[in-house]
Amino acid sequence: MSSQVIRALLLALLSSLIALPVGSFVAHWAGWSVFCAGLALQMIFHFRNFARLDRWSHRPVVDASLEGEGAWDGIFGRLYRHEKDLRAGIADRDNQIERLFAALQALTDGVVALDLNQQIVYCNSTAEEQLGLALTTDRGQPVVNLVRQPEFVAYLEGGDFERPLTLRSDRGTDRVLSIHVVPYAGDRRLLQIKDVTQTVRLDRMRRDFVANVSHELRTPLTVLAGFLETLQEIDLDRADQHRYLDLMAEQSKRMESIVQDLLTLSSIESAPPPSVDIVDMSSLVDKLRRDAEALSGGRHNIVAEADAQCDVRGSEPELVSAFGNLVANAVRYTPAGGTVRITWKAMAQGAEFAVEDTGIGIEAKHIPRLTERFYRVDRGRSRDAGGTGLGLAIVKHSLNRHQAQLEIRSTLGVGSRFAAKFPAGRVARVQ
Amino acid sequence: MNESQHLSSQFDEDLSRLRTHVLQMGGLVETQVSAAIEAYATGEIASVKTIVETDRKVNELEKAIDDDCAHIIAKRQPTASDLRLVLGISKIVTDLERAGDEAKKIAKGVRRIYEGGHLPGQYGVGVRHLAEAALAMIRQALDAFARLDTPQAANVIRADTDVDVEFKSIIRQLITHMMEDPRTITTSIDIISIARAIERIGDHAKNVSEQVVYIVEGRDIRHTKEKVQ
Repeated sequence: MSSQVIRALLLALLSSLIALPVGSFVAHWAGWSVFCAGLALQMIFHFRNFARLDRWSHRPVVDASLEGEGAWDGIFGRLYRHEKDLRAGIADRDNQIERLFAALQALTDGVVALDLNQQIVYCNSTAEEQLGLALTTDRGQPVVNLVRQPEFVAYLEGGDFERPLTLRSDRGTDRVLSIHVVPYAGDRRLLQIKDVTQTVRLDRMRRDFVANVSHELRTPLTVLAGFLETLQEIDLDRADQHRYLDLMAEQSKRMESIVQDLLTLSSIESAPPPSVDIVDMSSLVDKLRRDAEALSGGRHNIVAEADAQCDVRGSEPELVSAFGNLVANAVRYTPAGGTVRITWKAMAQGAEFAVEDTGIGIEAKHIPRLTERFYRVDRGRSRDAGGTGLGLAIVKHSLNRHQAQLEIRSTLGVGSRFAAKFPAGRVARVQ
Repeated sequence: MNESQHLSSQFDEDLSRLRTHVLQMGGLVETQVSAAIEAYATGEIASVKTIVETDRKVNELEKAIDDDCAHIIAKRQPTASDLRLVLGISKIVTDLERAGDEAKKIAKGVRRIYEGGHLPGQYGVGVRHLAEAALAMIRQALDAFARLDTPQAANVIRADTDVDVEFKSIIRQLITHMMEDPRTITTSIDIISIARAIERIGDHAKNVSEQVVYIVEGRDIRHTKEKVQ
């Protein structure tokens, strides 16, 4: 800085040195004007640079470099560098923030950040979808204006966030959300939202299972006990005794088949992975057709088609039981005169075993729950048909162990199609 | 919408709090309606008592909010859009309270049906569908109010026509049903009163949406065929 002052003073001295001889030899006024002209030149030089700086400071740009003259150049250079560094820093921070938001966006849990007045500061797209929010329009809106369920409002105002709040989503979907409030940055709050629909469903399935097992076993047991009591207390003639004993035998067989199915299910669950031995599908399909014909007793039209070009690698007994189950279901739920079609064919990726019928069909709402244990579309009917309620659960498990998917399609009154899709790894091509 | 005009002022806070109160009352009404529909679908008449009791809370909220509106008008003498907001709110709460009453009516109808040992039977689905539509309308109307979103409000107003049409078709079905089998008349009349209540809820949602248009645009579109964009 001091060098600048010295420089300015030297320039003033220079103009006075020129002005002094002019003043003494020519005229007083001429000397003064030379001196003033010197100073004015210096002023013009400074003003030009000043104007340049003024222009730049209104709209600082860094693409064209800022150049000054003389002493100004240093100042301009420093300012220019400062501005450039600042911009780079901001860009860097922007990048970091953007990545951070991208990370929040990638979370599978919903996140909503609230400010001190419970207004929405940020929410990720999962939360938008879960709560029906839209960040672009709802930023700054109190969250309780949009998530209005009284339980939620009470939870947020209650201030006791030990336990998460379980909330049934009211946005048309039948979802269950678990909302947890976590404080951050002082008194601000973060909502963490998990979709627990599946967990709640599993819980219900487990409860239902225990209740169902007891119920399924108790029903025949009650019948048995009733008949036993009758036999003990009343002297019956031989014919009645026989009739009762037959009924009792039927019930005990029922119980036996339920227990058998339960054991099968648990043995499948705990068994080691199925073997990779080749199962001859052509003969298996043929056997299924014969079984189906025997079960149908000539009341149905049974069609079987097997692609001889490929076979399955897996455990034969498990597959026989799974496929047999599907075929038996098709026969049972198809009225006399209907058609049951058993097919096995290679697909682009793997192969597919399918059983198609022209039976009574299944309502769409039952289909997702069909493979649950003891789940019944029509309680009375399936028991009359001799089912234990475990068949499809066993099928699904056996197929899963073979990495196969069970695909169910059905139209009420038209028919159903149960297909087991095997991946390429489980299919053996016949040369 | 007035944030820019009186930033951080006490008045602004009052208005914002008032809006949140209205929406909280709306949330309560939404829950009431969906609980009443749930009771209709499942036949769990235990919840009817809760619905009837909660309706008192809705009524209290209406009075409290109306009081707040009067206070704001007297103390702050709002003008222009602020005044419209306060006036609109005092009308919205009336509609919300009535929608709450309709929910109570549904709940009581459900109790009559199930206590009489009847089942809504095959009309269960039709009425439930109607109810889902009305519930969606009230939800969207409140969302439109929260966001001051007129296109959304316009959607609700249009949806009301569909609900009306569906209501009429349910009535026609029930009339046929009653003529075929006079023993079903008692249940059918109860179902009609439930369907009627649901249809009214749709009307109230429409009224709320009309107030949203009034608050935002200053146009009164009640009882007119004026198009909303």
